Amino acid sequence: MRDIFFDLSVRSVRLNFLRSLLASIGIVIGVVAISSMGMLGTNMQLSVKDQLSANVNTIMLTSDVVKTSTGLGAVSSNTIDSSTLNDIKGASGQNDVVPIHHTSTQFSVGDQNGRGSIYGLDPDDVPKFLTIEDGSNMRGSDVLVGATIASNFNLVVGSTIKIGQNCATVTRPVVRVAGILQARGIAADGVNADNAIIVPDDWYTNHYGGLDQYDQVNVIVQDVDTINQTEAAIDKKVNRNTDVVRISDASSRLSTITSTLGTITTFIMAIGGISLVVAAVSIFNVMMMSVKERVQEIGILLSIGTEKSEVRRMFLYEALILGIIGAVVGGIMSFVIGYSVVNAMIGTTQYFFQPASLIYIPYGMVIGVVVCVVSGLYPAWAASNMDPIDALRSE
Amino acid sequence: MSDLPLIRLTEVTKTYHLESGDFTALDHVTLDIAENDFVAIMGPSGSGKSTMMNQLGILDVPTSGELSIAGENVAKMSSLERTHMRRDIIGYIFQKFYLIPLLSAYENVEYPLILKYKKRDTTGRAADFLTAVGIDPVMSAHRPNQLSGGQQQRVAIARALVNDPKILLCDEPTGNLDSKTGLQIMEILCDLHRKGKTVIIVTHDQKIADYAQRTIRLADGRVVES
Repeated sequence: MRDIFFDLSVRSVRLNFLRSLLASIGIVIGVVAISSMGMLGTNMQLSVKDQLSANVNTIMLTSDVVKTSTGLGAVSSNTIDSSTLNDIKGASGQNDVVPIHHTSTQFSVGDQNGRGSIYGLDPDDVPKFLTIEDGSNMRGSDVLVGATIASNFNLVVGSTIKIGQNCATVTRPVVRVAGILQARGIAADGVNADNAIIVPDDWYTNHYGGLDQYDQVNVIVQDVDTINQTEAAIDKKVNRNTDVVRISDASSRLSTITSTLGTITTFIMAIGGISLVVAAVSIFNVMMMSVKERVQEIGILLSIGTEKSEVRRMFLYEALILGIIGAVVGGIMSFVIGYSVVNAMIGTTQYFFQPASLIYIPYGMVIGVVVCVVSGLYPAWAASNMDPIDALRSE
Repeated sequence: MSDLPLIRLTEVTKTYHLESGDFTALDHVTLDIAENDFVAIMGPSGSGKSTMMNQLGILDVPTSGELSIAGENVAKMSSLERTHMRRDIIGYIFQKFYLIPLLSAYENVEYPLILKYKKRDTTGRAADFLTAVGIDPVMSAHRPNQLSGGQQQRVAIARALVNDPKILLCDEPTGNLDSKTGLQIMEILCDLHRKGKTVIIVTHDQKIADYAQRTIRLADGRVVES
C-alpha cells in the first residue's frame, strides 16, 4: 500500500516539476563531483600502486652523507664503497645485490641533443630487475636505452648515441643501442630507466670514474616477507657504529605515496562537496517555498486531525524524492563522466571497474540523498509546527 | 462523567496578547451543548464567533476557564490527544470547503479514514458517503478545482462524516454557495441532525439560523442569548 503522505509529496513534486527539477540538478552536480573525483583519486592510487608494487621486494641503499665521519676530520662521501658493499652482500644472504652507478648527462642522437640519466650496471644484473623489450643485453660499448628516450629520439637496435656535452674541441664517446627496455613508469626501486641510458659498469667507470664507488645499491629479496629481517640485518652490519647507508624499501615509499594520494583524493572530493553545500541551500529554498505555498493546505491537514509527525513526514518525503531523483541521475552521470575523466586524466580505465573505484558512485548517491533530507528537516519541522488557525486563514 | 453534556464551557475566556494590548475575544462564557443539539451561533463581526468556533473545534485552548468535550477537559490534553479528538469526534465543514487540492474528491473523503486506521479504505465507506451526498463515481475522481462550489461542499460534508464524528462543526457552510445550493446543503445538515448528529453552525444569516433548534448570540465575547 502506498502511503498517502508519499502520494501527496509525489503530487507536489509533479505540480512544481520545473522547480523540483532545478533543485535536483544541484544534487546531480554534487553527486557527480564527489563520485568522479573519488573515482579519479582511487584510479590514480591503484595505477601508482600497481606500478610501484612491481618493485616492492627491493631494498634501496644510498650513502648517508650527513652522518659519515671519522675521527677529527669529517669525511663526506656520497657513494657506497666496496667494503660497505661487501658488508651489504654479507648481510643480504642469498638475495641479489645490485650495485648501481648513476649520473646525468647530455647526449646527441644525430642532430638532436638531449639530457637524461646514465646508469652503470653489471650486465649480469640487468635481467634481475629490467626487461629488455627489443634487442639484447649490453656489452662493451653497446648499451640499453629506456622506452621514453627510444621513443623520443626514434632509437632502434643499432642506433648510435654520442654521450657528453656537444663541444667542437672534444671527441665524444659513441655507444650503440643493443637493446630497448620495457617502459617501467614510476620505479619504486629508484632506477627510473625510462628516460635513461644503461651502460656496462666498466664503460661507466672508464668514462666517469668511481671505480668501486657506487651511488646506490639495491637488494632484491627473494621472499618479500623477509624484507624487514634483511633490512635489519644490513642495518646491524653496515651501520653498526655510525650510519653509513640510508635504508629504504619500496613498500614504505609505496605507502607514503598512496597515503599522499589518499589525502589529495579526500581534498578534491571536499572541493566537489562544496557543490553539494550549494545544492543543499537550493533544496532548503525549494522546500521553504513549498511550505510557504502550501500553508493553507497544512492548516487543513492539521485541523482535520493530521498528526504533526505525519505533516513532517510528508515534507521529508518531498525532500527524499528530490534527493533520490538527483542521486539516481547523478549516479548514472557519474559513471559516464567518471569514466571519461579517468580515461582523460590517467590514460587508462583498467582500474575503473574495480569495486574500490565504483564504490564512489553509491557513496556519492547516499551523500546526495542525505544532504537533501537534512536540508528538508527544518522546512518539515516548520510546517508541522504551524498554528492550524493561522495557517487556515492564510491565502 | 456521563452526567456531562457533550460540550460544556465553564467561564471560558480567551485573551490574545497583541502589540496594541490584550484583547479578550471570549469573556467568561458559560454554555452547555447537549448531544443531538442543533445550535446556531450568531453575532456581529468581532463578537467572538470565530474564537468560539476554534475553541469548540479544539484548534485552540482557553486562556482560562474549562472546556470539556465528550467528557474530556481540553486544556489537560496533550497536543497529540487533541489532534486525535479532532480526527475522531469532530467533523469540520468550512465556508471555503478547504479540501486538499492535491487529492481527488474520493481521496479527500478517504483521507480521515487513513488518518484513523493507518491504511487505505477497502470497505467502500468513503465511496458510500460520497454517494450519500450526491457525488457520483465520475465526479469522485476529480480534483477539487474541477468541481463546483456546491459539489465541493458536498465532498467536504462527506469528509466530515466519514469517521462518524459526534459533532458537526459548520462555519458559514452556505456562505460561498448560491441560495439553491445552500438550501440543499442545509437539507443535508438537517437530515444528519435527524440521524443523531450534534450540529453547530456559525452564521451571519438568520435564515440559516432558523434551521437550528437553538440560537446562541454573542456580542463582545459574551453570550447575550442562548
